[in-house]
Amino acid sequence: MGMKKSMKCGFIFVVALIFACSLILAGSPALAETKVVKIGNILPLSGPSASVGIQGKYARELATEMINNAGGIKSLGGAKLENIYVDSKSDPTVGVSAAERLINNNKVNILSGCWNSAVTYPATQVAERYKVPFIVPVSVRNTITERGFKYTFRIAAKDAWWARDQFKFLKDMEKKTGVALKTVAFVYENGDWGVGMAEQWAPLAKEHGYEIVLNEPYPSTASDLTPVVLKIKRAKPDILLLTSNAADAILLTNTMAAMRVKVKAVIGTGGGHADPMFRQNCGKNAEYMFDVVEWEADLSKPGIPEVNAEFKKRHGFGLAGESVDAFASVFVIADALERAASTDPEKIREALSKTHLNSGPGMIVSYDAVEFDGTGQNINAGIVMVQYRMIDGKLERVSVWPMSAARAGYEAVFPMPQK
Amino acid sequence: MNLLPPASAIRENEVKMDFIIQAIVSGILMGSIYGLAALGLTLIFGVIKVINFAHGSCLMVGMYAAYWVVTLTGANPYLALVVVVPMLFLFGYFLEDFLINPILKAQGDVREPTEIIVVTSGVWYILDNITLMIFGAEYRVVQTSISGKAFELGQIIVSTPKLYGLIATIIVSVALVWFFKSTKLGKSIRAASLDREAASLMGINQYRMYNIAFGIGTAIMGVVGCVLIPFYYVFPTVGVIFDVKCFIIVVLGGLGSIPGALIGGLVVGLIESVGAQFMTSTWTELIVYAVFLAVLFVMPSGLFGEKKDW
Repeated sequence: MGMKKSMKCGFIFVVALIFACSLILAGSPALAETKVVKIGNILPLSGPSASVGIQGKYARELATEMINNAGGIKSLGGAKLENIYVDSKSDPTVGVSAAERLINNNKVNILSGCWNSAVTYPATQVAERYKVPFIVPVSVRNTITERGFKYTFRIAAKDAWWARDQFKFLKDMEKKTGVALKTVAFVYENGDWGVGMAEQWAPLAKEHGYEIVLNEPYPSTASDLTPVVLKIKRAKPDILLLTSNAADAILLTNTMAAMRVKVKAVIGTGGGHADPMFRQNCGKNAEYMFDVVEWEADLSKPGIPEVNAEFKKRHGFGLAGESVDAFASVFVIADALERAASTDPEKIREALSKTHLNSGPGMIVSYDAVEFDGTGQNINAGIVMVQYRMIDGKLERVSVWPMSAARAGYEAVFPMPQK
Repeated sequence: MNLLPPASAIRENEVKMDFIIQAIVSGILMGSIYGLAALGLTLIFGVIKVINFAHGSCLMVGMYAAYWVVTLTGANPYLALVVVVPMLFLFGYFLEDFLINPILKAQGDVREPTEIIVVTSGVWYILDNITLMIFGAEYRVVQTSISGKAFELGQIIVSTPKLYGLIATIIVSVALVWFFKSTKLGKSIRAASLDREAASLMGINQYRMYNIAFGIGTAIMGVVGCVLIPFYYVFPTVGVIFDVKCFIIVVLGGLGSIPGALIGGLVVGLIESVGAQFMTSTWTELIVYAVFLAVLFVMPSGLFGEKKDW
């Protein structure tokens, strides 16, 4: 049963036409010379991470527009920034070939991406080989900046720093309130993420002198977490550290409230605890719990409300951790270009390594300055600690730490009220 | 160097009795609810000799029905039973009538047509995905008047919604036993389950009996839905989590046996709750499956099942 002959001819003609068009478009020379600096962005624009990939694209577009409207790169005669986006589909092999194509065919000056650590890791290797600077706004895998690469620059905090900051926060709270903390319990989902966090918590607990009274991995899909909550009750920890997905976070929180489990502090590690569904389903039971996140919209840094409002106006939703890092990254690139006054990759790399960006519309991040160390890692990156508080009858996430960036008028309630 | 202490290690030197008793109490409460969920499955298998792979999805439908009735009317979930149970009964009745009876009729001489497994699996996927399309993937929890409440007997905390679940299980089981032993309809259903041709020769409409039995099975899922929503969250694939447990319980207790389902449920609940005090939940799952396998090897008909001609 085949197609009619005429249909077949028509089909082949259309395919040939499309093929020819794509060849022409791909081979078209770059737009106007010299007045443009090209940035190649590799992002997951389809697949399971599409939602964050698209947010990263929007953030870059907004930042680029702001920079170009303000006159572009003045040291390059007002050159404009131009973004080229390639979909990585969250697939490392696609990311690698995208990097090759962007460098060789599109002749980009800088690369940026890729959100998924699994894609960023090999894509940055390509850039290192071709000596093209690669900015990593978001991927957290530690090893991305631990390979002795010279051309990789990461803005976000390393994975390991999330755990480090959770403990830093506790130390700050101890100092501020004088409450002594002695024991800690780890309760975490038993997949890669949870187990990875627990392995980082253990040496930190030792370093801070806390005794680990419970180490409890549990299956995220459990139908009942009462046994786990019972164990928390038995262990009587001062601090409870959690790493959970949304469903189990809800179940744990509600069961702990039902079983009247009281600890001095509960700290989540993002993920399920940051999920809006957690807020909806736990209500008052989650009050006073802490959670970590890269960024929260209520930080008291100048410029946040305006940029957030503009982003929301264009896209219907506000900025979040990933999009903020992407937004800042474009300003980091622009700042380096200004200082390099050249599109030579070596000069751009040199300028990037000397970055000390602490002002300007791009610095809506939670910390004070972007500075890269010898490994290409932004040494000031850190996380924000939020606390769930009931405000006007609604459960909200309130930034409470670093204390310099906390939401105006709010302080952490520590320890949790033991009602 | 791994500084993590062994998983599940708790600092205390001896396990306090209080916590063991608490674990037993929690295990019995949750176990009774598992047993109730398994009752529907064992009934359907016992009567119609059909393995209902859509069982988890029926549970999910029961939970969504309970969720929406409570959310829209603000009623107490146990009051919602009045609406949810008949709704689920009719759902099961017509599901059986449209989907399963035609197969049974076509395969009149086969006791357990295998097509039914395929059809019920299809129902499972379709139900789960239609629910996903209509209601979305979000987890929903409804705040009822009994959510989060508990009785405190000294150091032991008894969760109120789960206690009501235990009471519901007892009432439903007693009602079922009475129904099947003493009412004409119940006896007719039992007759049809023993030998459908002989029953039809006696004037019993076997297909109507199957509809009713299936309907009762799903009606029980409606009860489970009302029992679960005060403390559990609803989402389209919630059935899968309970489904596997129900199958284990049903085989453990014996297919078609009401006391078997209840005892099986208690066994699983206790293993999960008490066992978890000494090891992580991953290990308790392993033990549940190990017990299941052991029973299959030693007593294939389960603890209370009738000896079958496998």
